Amino acid sequence: MSEMQSVENMVSIKIDGVEYKAKEGEYILNAARANDIFIPAICYLTRCSPTLACRICLVEADGKQVYSCNAKVKEGMEITTTTPNILEERRAIMEVYDVNHPLQCGVCDQSGECELQNYTLELEVDSQSYSIPDTKRETKNWSSVLHYDAGLCIVCERCTTVCKDMIGDAAIKTTKRGGAALDKSLRGNMPKDAYAMWNKLQKSIIAPSNGTENTDCSDCGECVAVCPVGALVSRDFQYTTNAWDLKRIPATCAHCSSGCQIYYETKPTSISDRTEKIYRVTNEWNYVSLCGAGRFGYDFENRVESKDTKAFANAITAFNKAKVINFTSVITNEEALMLQTLKEKKGIKLINREARAFQIFLDFYSKASGNSLYTTDFKEVMKSDFVMSLGTSLRNDNPNARYAFNNVQKMNKGAGIYFHPVGDTLVPTFGRTIEVFNHKVGYEEAVLLLIIELFADKDKLPNSVKEQLDRAKLVEALGGDSAKFEKSFDKMMKKKEKFSLIVGEDLYFHQKAENIAKLIAVLENCSDIKVAMIPPKTNSLGVALICDLDDEADGFTIGYNASGDFRLSALGDGDLDMPAMNQQEGTLTNMHKRVTPTNAGLDYHGYTLNDIMKEVLSAPTHTIDWTPLLPTDKGFKAIDFDSLPNGYSNDGTENRGYLLDTSTVEVGDIEVNKFDDSIALDGEIAYRCNPQRQFSDFTDKAHQIFEEFALYASPKKAESLGKRVVVEFDNGNLELDVKVDDRMAGDIVAIPDFKSAENIYELFGASRYQKVIIREV
Amino acid sequence: MGLEKFKDRNVGTQNYIKLDLTHPPKDGWSKFKQVLSRAVQPELFVGLWVTLREMNNALFRGKMHTTQYPLEKLPISPRYRAIHDMLRLLESGHYRCIGCGLCEKICISNCISMDTRYDENQRKEVSEYTINFGRCIFCGYCAEVCPELAIVHGGRYENASEQRASFSLFEDMLTPIDNLNLQQEYQGFGAISPNADDNIKKTPLAY
Amino acid sequence: MDATILPEVTAVGVIIKAVLILAVISAIAGFGTYIERKVLAFMQRRLGPQHVGPYGLLQLAADGIKLFTKEDIIPQHANKIIFSVAPAITAATAFIALAAVPVFPDFTIPFVDVFVPSIASDVNVGILFVLGMMAAGLYGPLLAGMAQSNKWGIIGSARTAIQFLSYEVVTGLSLLAPIMMVGSLSFVDFNDYQSDGTWLVVYQPVAFVLFLIAGYAETNRTPFDLLEHEAEIVSGYVTEYSGMRWGMFFIGEYANMITIGVIASVVFLGGYNDWWIFAGWFMILAKIAFSFFFMLWVRAAWPHVRPDQLMWLCWKVLMPLAVINVVITGLVMMAG
Repeated sequence: MSEMQSVENMVSIKIDGVEYKAKEGEYILNAARANDIFIPAICYLTRCSPTLACRICLVEADGKQVYSCNAKVKEGMEITTTTPNILEERRAIMEVYDVNHPLQCGVCDQSGECELQNYTLELEVDSQSYSIPDTKRETKNWSSVLHYDAGLCIVCERCTTVCKDMIGDAAIKTTKRGGAALDKSLRGNMPKDAYAMWNKLQKSIIAPSNGTENTDCSDCGECVAVCPVGALVSRDFQYTTNAWDLKRIPATCAHCSSGCQIYYETKPTSISDRTEKIYRVTNEWNYVSLCGAGRFGYDFENRVESKDTKAFANAITAFNKAKVINFTSVITNEEALMLQTLKEKKGIKLINREARAFQIFLDFYSKASGNSLYTTDFKEVMKSDFVMSLGTSLRNDNPNARYAFNNVQKMNKGAGIYFHPVGDTLVPTFGRTIEVFNHKVGYEEAVLLLIIELFADKDKLPNSVKEQLDRAKLVEALGGDSAKFEKSFDKMMKKKEKFSLIVGEDLYFHQKAENIAKLIAVLENCSDIKVAMIPPKTNSLGVALICDLDDEADGFTIGYNASGDFRLSALGDGDLDMPAMNQQEGTLTNMHKRVTPTNAGLDYHGYTLNDIMKEVLSAPTHTIDWTPLLPTDKGFKAIDFDSLPNGYSNDGTENRGYLLDTSTVEVGDIEVNKFDDSIALDGEIAYRCNPQRQFSDFTDKAHQIFEEFALYASPKKAESLGKRVVVEFDNGNLELDVKVDDRMAGDIVAIPDFKSAENIYELFGASRYQKVIIREV
Repeated sequence: MGLEKFKDRNVGTQNYIKLDLTHPPKDGWSKFKQVLSRAVQPELFVGLWVTLREMNNALFRGKMHTTQYPLEKLPISPRYRAIHDMLRLLESGHYRCIGCGLCEKICISNCISMDTRYDENQRKEVSEYTINFGRCIFCGYCAEVCPELAIVHGGRYENASEQRASFSLFEDMLTPIDNLNLQQEYQGFGAISPNADDNIKKTPLAY
Repeated sequence: MDATILPEVTAVGVIIKAVLILAVISAIAGFGTYIERKVLAFMQRRLGPQHVGPYGLLQLAADGIKLFTKEDIIPQHANKIIFSVAPAITAATAFIALAAVPVFPDFTIPFVDVFVPSIASDVNVGILFVLGMMAAGLYGPLLAGMAQSNKWGIIGSARTAIQFLSYEVVTGLSLLAPIMMVGSLSFVDFNDYQSDGTWLVVYQPVAFVLFLIAGYAETNRTPFDLLEHEAEIVSGYVTEYSGMRWGMFFIGEYANMITIGVIASVVFLGGYNDWWIFAGWFMILAKIAFSFFFMLWVRAAWPHVRPDQLMWLCWKVLMPLAVINVVITGLVMMAG
């Protein structure tokens, strides 16, 4: 963690005769990049393992030629980035890449941002010395979003690397191309590395790893983002525009609490329609990975061409008589502050179910632990080598948590334990040393007790915890085999230094949330484990910090993207239109405890919440004038919106907004309740959980996100349920289609909550799991 | 009028007449001499003679210069940059434009725009293409940058119209398919030089 | 000489003559613009007006219609009265000057027996009157330039003042020598003096040349058209004028050109005397026409002079020459 960056672990190296500092154990390439020195590299991805496919990052370190993406810096190392021999190799490599690469830059989508173009020019390749017969390489659509043109592919393996090391799907792999063999005489006659690279290139091509024509993955599109050439493109984007025509607007993704840095890339819709349209979303893929919703769910804007004065007047009337405001977490910090101001000045009650649950949980946690906020973030989780997950459907709830869990396995030789009632077939494939506990619903306390038992310093534990610890019993209670677990746990613990725990929404919507929060506090107090929490929705953390939420309220209700007597809606279906998140400026508080700015990708010509605030109370000119007014006692800083940075520096440092200030106070001993299985559920259980690329009404509105509002079940369960079912809750029924999620296992079914109109939160109430009766219709 | 004059661009070798300029007179006497020498020269009458002679030439010897424009037209240079033409492939009749967007990018008055799409044949298709002739300055960069020699300048310079939109459409600039045999290669800015072959480095084809 | 046998000049005859002059000279002035454009065009091997009527003859009518229907703009800060009157001064003085100039030979309208004199008003100081009126014409451009509140107009009117006043001197002095010879200021006397077929230009070549030069300057013709030198002062004193007001300046200028042509013809080139087989009326028309043509010819052939060159030419060359010419004429006459 912090000691990683401390001065003791810095080493001095010399690059081209100039002395620089670099982190110990860092790859030469990254050290050079951090110091703004250019070394060409095609196949390397920061945060992923080196593949040595391109071999162009050759440098000379202490007199030996090494691949800078694969060689670590050592104290006193002398590095030369260019020697005549290296230049010859690099040029030969680029010439080889250009052999049989189609000359169709004119129509290629990557033209203008193509690394093959860039490096061909950078290395001044003006003639070709090599040739080989071409193989027929076919163009294929791998999925609803992926288009692969094998002819353009240079097999740098960045797509397969990111899919495996970051995303965890490992949905694509290199396979045999069937190309002509190289002339053996070349071996001695051309640069060595270029020959080796070519030899491999000539043999391989990329294909879905399941052996079919289609990828079985989460359609995150990260492979499209990292592709240096035009081989992998989004089907929707293909041939619609050129890279240089797009205007890049730095923003923050508004779909989940990851708050990933993205760029909205906009251009006029067509020649006849000059209104701006988002053509695609791109990201700094070396430092942040998007999910399918972030990358493809961008067209959720609310097109409003003029100010509807009548609706606005109605809104003012509504606000003046409102008793309650019901809203979701897809809201900026500034808007949340406006609502809080309304509460303070006019006594309007604020309802936000997911944020309220999280707020209460955070409150329990900080009372018990003394920490104002959870102690770590997901960037740190990614650096740990033992990661556990509890109370979250890792695959569905939050992509960043999942990527972190996966990345720990791949990059840090890590181990992981996944505790969740719903079976998942993907998580175990993340790594070799992953244990999965599909425990019973309601056994979350037992999980925490087991973790405490495994990792805590027993001497520090309060008695109320100590007396409950019995490893074998706990393992058995959670559905494991204690003897087997002991063996594998020993293996998992080998050479592990940093431990982290991811906890999620199941724990906030839990009857024993207070006790769970206390157990987490105990765990942190008595062990090295750092806990990171996943806020339920986009800005739940911000709302929880800014707003003083109410549990129940009645009276005239204004719904903001939620139900109410008067509805403000960014979906275009309300009584007054509001800008969607891609049309708004403002800040979001993400799960990394970071307040990040987002910008308006598209125009919005209607009224904003700030306009209403101006009429109802008083308000500054712009929404972003609220930014410095965010509550500093909750960790926000009084910084103007316009001075918030939004980018990454070359060494991967995240310069986006600011981190929330956190504080710690001393607290007394923690008294926890004894675990019992009184609330454990049996029988038919429904779990409130969205499909992978759905988070809210806004993702649902985007045309490339098509996961339906349906009941998701494992293949076996789906078969037993039939095509369409009625789900009977205690307080209502729901009729849904049954969809197979072939990565689910077990009998628990998932019911999404992304459609606010369906009132799923009402049906589930205070828990994410409910006993239901499911009948076929 | 032939085209030879347009093709001769060796402007440096023309014969300029150098004036033998003397210094202006300084004292009164030399000024008087200058006045006298100029006054007695029949320069003014030469001027009168020249104009009279030219009038005679014009009226009676058929040396009138005027081209009565809408009725008579001068041939224009193939390098002339008037309203654009979009050419077709001679073999297939398909338009040459591949929608690469380079003309759109290079256009310094920002008047070209195009819409492209992924078509049924898995190719990039130009679905819309316009040039705003209200803004076009006819610089010829688009013709120069076009990798397919698809957009060129034509000779249509009579472009007065009631509406600027009148000839900004792709179809209007495109060679009519029935006139494909009359399509002429553009000789001007951006055209292939006669020795283009010599300047290209060829890709080895060892197999 | 034969004045005694002429019929009585009646008021009706004078009015008819006046109307005749006004109509004919206006028409000729207008037609002069067409001729000027055509001649200049031919000298530059162009066609000139071509499309309105046969050979563009009706261009004149088109221009007239245009001028009459054009919006009459008076600038906001102009002195409106003076601005409005100034073009009339130019036109009026030009035509008044023609009152004392013999334009056609005398004739009697048949049947009604009204005698129309060759001259509207044969004042015995005819030349003085004409020169005086042309000098008064100075007020047109001068006031126009000063009234329009425009810097180019002011410069134009300043140039008008210096140019007109300076060249008045040369005109007067150059005509003094012939006047001395003829001993009269009446144009009729000048005409009759040359009835023997010997033109005054033979006796007074220097005076003729000086008169022509000064005449060009006074009519604001190339190479002395500095009052509205486009390259320097936009349009000089007519910068702010439009429509028919502008047209009146134009008519005045062309009327003055004709006046100068008439004076030159009558004083130096034998007047309306018959010559060889040609009748007097034809001769005077031919002479006026040639002098008009010569003005156009000069315009086609010669460049402008600079204002300083203009002044230099007037005061240092032409004026001394004119004085010397008068002195020599006087000496010769005394000797003779």
